[in-house]
Amino acid sequence: MADTTQWEGSDKYLCDKDLAQAFHIARVLGMPLLIEGEPGTGKTELPLQYARDLNLDLFVYPVGSKSTVEQFVARFDHVKYLRDSQIEVLNAQREEKGLESKLSTGGRSTDRLSDYVQMGPAAKAYSTPNSVLLIDEIDKAPREFPNDLLYALSHRKFIMPESGEIIETTELDMPAIVITSNREQELPTAFKGRCVYHYIAFPSPEIMRDIVRKHYPKTDDNIVSEAISIFYQLRQLGLERAPSTRELLNWLKYMQSFSKKETIERIKKLDGLGALIKNHDDVRRVQRNLKEDLSRPGGATRY
Amino acid sequence: MFESFPEICRNYGVPADIRSLLLLQKALNKDLIHTTGDIYNFFKVSLVKDPTHIGPYTQAFYDYFIGVDIAQGERLSDAILRAQTFRDWLDDFFQGNDEHRNIDMEDLINQFLDEVHMTSFDIRRVIDGEEILAEDDPDLKDDPGRGDDENIERLQEKAADYRMVDLEELRRRMEKVMEQQMRRHHGGAHWVGTGGISPYGHGGAALGGIRVGGSGGGKMAREVMGNPQFYPVDIDAHISDDNVDATLASLKGVIEETNDRYLDIPITVKEGVAQGGLFLPIELDKTEDRLQVILMIDNGGYSMDYYIRPIQALFKKMKTRFQHDLETYYFHNTIYKYVYEDERRTRRVPVERVLSKDPNYRVFIIGDAAMAPYELHEGSIITWGRFSEKFKKIAWLNPVSEKHWHITWTTTMLRRIFSMYPMTPRGLENAVLDMNKKKNKLA
Repeated sequence: MADTTQWEGSDKYLCDKDLAQAFHIARVLGMPLLIEGEPGTGKTELPLQYARDLNLDLFVYPVGSKSTVEQFVARFDHVKYLRDSQIEVLNAQREEKGLESKLSTGGRSTDRLSDYVQMGPAAKAYSTPNSVLLIDEIDKAPREFPNDLLYALSHRKFIMPESGEIIETTELDMPAIVITSNREQELPTAFKGRCVYHYIAFPSPEIMRDIVRKHYPKTDDNIVSEAISIFYQLRQLGLERAPSTRELLNWLKYMQSFSKKETIERIKKLDGLGALIKNHDDVRRVQRNLKEDLSRPGGATRY
Repeated sequence: MFESFPEICRNYGVPADIRSLLLLQKALNKDLIHTTGDIYNFFKVSLVKDPTHIGPYTQAFYDYFIGVDIAQGERLSDAILRAQTFRDWLDDFFQGNDEHRNIDMEDLINQFLDEVHMTSFDIRRVIDGEEILAEDDPDLKDDPGRGDDENIERLQEKAADYRMVDLEELRRRMEKVMEQQMRRHHGGAHWVGTGGISPYGHGGAALGGIRVGGSGGGKMAREVMGNPQFYPVDIDAHISDDNVDATLASLKGVIEETNDRYLDIPITVKEGVAQGGLFLPIELDKTEDRLQVILMIDNGGYSMDYYIRPIQALFKKMKTRFQHDLETYYFHNTIYKYVYEDERRTRRVPVERVLSKDPNYRVFIIGDAAMAPYELHEGSIITWGRFSEKFKKIAWLNPVSEKHWHITWTTTMLRRIFSMYPMTPRGLENAVLDMNKKKNKLA
């Protein structure tokens, strides 16, 4: 039976209390969990860390603009099938001519259609009890993709193409399904209706401090405060693309190579800004607004 | 159970129906729900499917389950202070505990919120002792004179009682609450403070004044109230910094379709193979996101100042998200022979040059269309006419409220030439929809 005790994060991953409960509800009810939120708030991390922490099988399907349900569930390899059936004809001809050696079909037989079914992550997850299935960035998918998933999500079964084989799971063995979205496009209502929904709000400075500590437990407190303070000021500038948690962590990673004193100097000077800001207009805006502020004593507000 | 809750939700603008109640039933059977905090979180993840619904949902929840009516834009603590539920709860809380009367009102509200949002997860943490360990001051750990152990044990016992409430008992209580809900208009009985899910009715007091679960849920609810992020954008409001993103969404419908067809090789191969080697060419319609936009902005006069920035922000965002041509021109009130490339209107561009562009450009004219009648003379009207003749996909967006359009003579004149839309996300969406209906011309 699937593990349905509430999971609250691991030593590397800080799972927000509300998110933990949403994930718990989703698993107990056997529904997928749909997580939306700004980029870089740790949406994808949840299933990855969960699977790692509990040592479960993880299947990932990264969605792209060309994604189809076929890739996600299973596809029938027509080319291989055609090749093998040609080989059978050839082999029959060779036999007629009295030739001994035969061409190989690699153990596949055209009588067994299931030999040519290539399972995608969904079919694999459904046939592995108590696994984890991540559908990453579903908002990048073509419009029909989420709707095509509806049947599978509500019936807990897939029908394999051509072979007609059915892959089914029970509510108890159901994989924990996590779907992430950056809200680049609105998902269909019917699709959302079948999911448990959680919106990750941007973390407050206090929580951000905890997140940073999880990643860089050895970094000096003053450095962390200074970096977080500047980070939230940058977010308030109304930039085209505000820096997210991921950018802050990368910035701090860069800062690891310097001594404590030097690091604070560098943070104040916004050294390595490229790790935080990824847009030319934004860089100019930051330089205009923030550099003057920070050079004044006591200019930066502490968080 | 809670039959009228979906309706209340709908009144607050959160889509909800009978299915949410069926799911609640399932969650109850699965032993997921023990407290009001659980109910809040359960409906939050099952009813709310958009961050902008969290605010209205929270209002609906407080209205229905807690009996706290939060007015639009009101702070949560103010709404609580007004509520009869809170006064009842206070009476319970003070009963026999005179020292409680010294507690600051803000702290009392926090305590109340903690009870409302206490989840079974919080309670389990108390039982497991995590909460108490976390609160423990490490410096005092070895102090023998403290004698808190007894207190902690008592707390754990009481907390355990919450978990011991069995399903039947819970149902019975919920039904009672439901009855109370029905009589609410007369009696004003609510479950927090007067029975309900907590075995004591006033959990905080029963737990010896030790706070359970920190102020997580309560803090969250406070942040939700009044944070525009958690409320829907008024799509009839003018485009502003707040709703630029919503507007952008309505602009996304701008997709070019062509009559071109192309041979889809992958599908042809796949189908051919499936038919045992008989390849029939498969052609598909070519659609592409090619999009060319001309933006003409009236930036003369004070009346337009307020709108220019959000509009530019909007189209600039468009440019970063979609690959296409975007050209911006400026004019003052109306056009004669020239438009301008820069905002200060120093670099002139002859109208002829704009008119010689590809007729498939989409043209958005943004202006209040209000000016002195003599400004819009015949020459100007003819120029506008040539624009509408040349560019089939053209729309005038007017920041002035639609109901005032008929007052201004020049607006009325220009409406004869162009389709005019209010400059709101909805207006823009309609403009785009109408544009999409018009077929491309060959250049």
